[in-house]
Amino acid sequence: MLVLVIMDTVVVVLLAGLVAGLLRSHADILRALHSLGAGVGDPSAPADPEVLTSDVTTAASPATPLHIGPPLPGERDSWSAHDIEGTDPGGDAVAVSVTHTAHLTLLAFLSSGCSTCAGFWAALGDADHGGLPTDVRAVVVTKGPELEIPAEVRRRAPPATTVVMSSGAWDDYEVPGSPFFVLVDGRTHRRMGEGVARQFSQVVDLVRRARADAEGPDRMPRPGAVPRPDGKAREALNDQELIAAGIHPGHASLYPESLDDVFSGTPDRPEGSRPAP
Amino acid sequence: MVTLEAHGIRARLPLGFEGRIFRRQTVHDEVPRPVAHFATVAIPPDASDFGGGLVTSLKSTDVFVVLFEYGPESVGRALFATEGLPRRLAADHFRPYTLRRGLGGQSGTQWFFTENGRPFTLYAVLGSHARRHSLVAPVNSLLHHLEVAPAAPGRSAIHR
Repeated sequence: MLVLVIMDTVVVVLLAGLVAGLLRSHADILRALHSLGAGVGDPSAPADPEVLTSDVTTAASPATPLHIGPPLPGERDSWSAHDIEGTDPGGDAVAVSVTHTAHLTLLAFLSSGCSTCAGFWAALGDADHGGLPTDVRAVVVTKGPELEIPAEVRRRAPPATTVVMSSGAWDDYEVPGSPFFVLVDGRTHRRMGEGVARQFSQVVDLVRRARADAEGPDRMPRPGAVPRPDGKAREALNDQELIAAGIHPGHASLYPESLDDVFSGTPDRPEGSRPAP
Repeated sequence: MVTLEAHGIRARLPLGFEGRIFRRQTVHDEVPRPVAHFATVAIPPDASDFGGGLVTSLKSTDVFVVLFEYGPESVGRALFATEGLPRRLAADHFRPYTLRRGLGGQSGTQWFFTENGRPFTLYAVLGSHARRHSLVAPVNSLLHHLEVAPAAPGRSAIHR
């Protein structure tokens, strides 16, 4: 009987020691989490200096920001914006100004291989740029030709949207991965916002809100304003009007030889003849 | 200052400018030549050689500049007899009627010349003729930093 009592006492003492050790370990973990700003419970409790001895300031701070990657140069911060310099998918040189402009620029950091990006490529190729406000310029930025496949980028590039291949831009804007979006205000030369999205409609919604905040009601486009045709639309309209007037390619009136031909009506030359260069 | 370089043309862009130096796709027997666009507004990728699709977006504080190269057969022609890219334009060089597309209020100038054995035309548009005295300054700043490499093969150095 005495032996049983002694064994029982030993077991109880061992279990008590085990529980005390577990509680101590749990407390150490909680203190460490507090010192990283991710703790639960009372965050005002000072961290145990024995837990994190590498940074004295973290011991006194209830929430220490976690930095990933190298520190930014002194002249930059997370709001600074940079012009984009690189090549287009055809290999020609392109520089896009996003600072010192009078408009907002939405930089869409996409890649040709990311499956999530496919919807964004398609949305930017829509006639209405996926519903993006017309006074916001969209620019697609992929990594440079050394890290991308130019032919794939060329295949996905929306015809009316500027596409720049520039690894330097990804570094400048510290892009963590694709897809990633940055909205820059060219008047203040600052980023208005940045982040990721799963659908382009989410990006458009955020852009609209940011623009409304920045510009106020006076700068919004007038309802019912009709844009003037330009570029290909204007060319097509001109062609329609000329054909309707009976002026086809090669018509003599298109090749005046003197001011008299211009101001006195159709020149006296047969259709299809053009002056020597 | 952003630097653009392609097809033997190099440009250091003043603040607020963007640019594009490109050569169009070959169509049939056509030999496309380099074209350089510079503007203080967004340059759409489908802008035509002399600014169609772009000049309508110029506001009264904006400028647009084209450097357009012609084929070597043009070298020595009277039109390209002037030697050297104009580096310093005057406000009086800009005329409201020197425009590819006559848009009210705008003003333009066009020059034909040969630079380092390559025939070019320079076409510049100001968003406002009334503000030509102030708008010519950024155009001149751009021209000051434009460089054209010689046409002769084997001479790759860029001269100003």
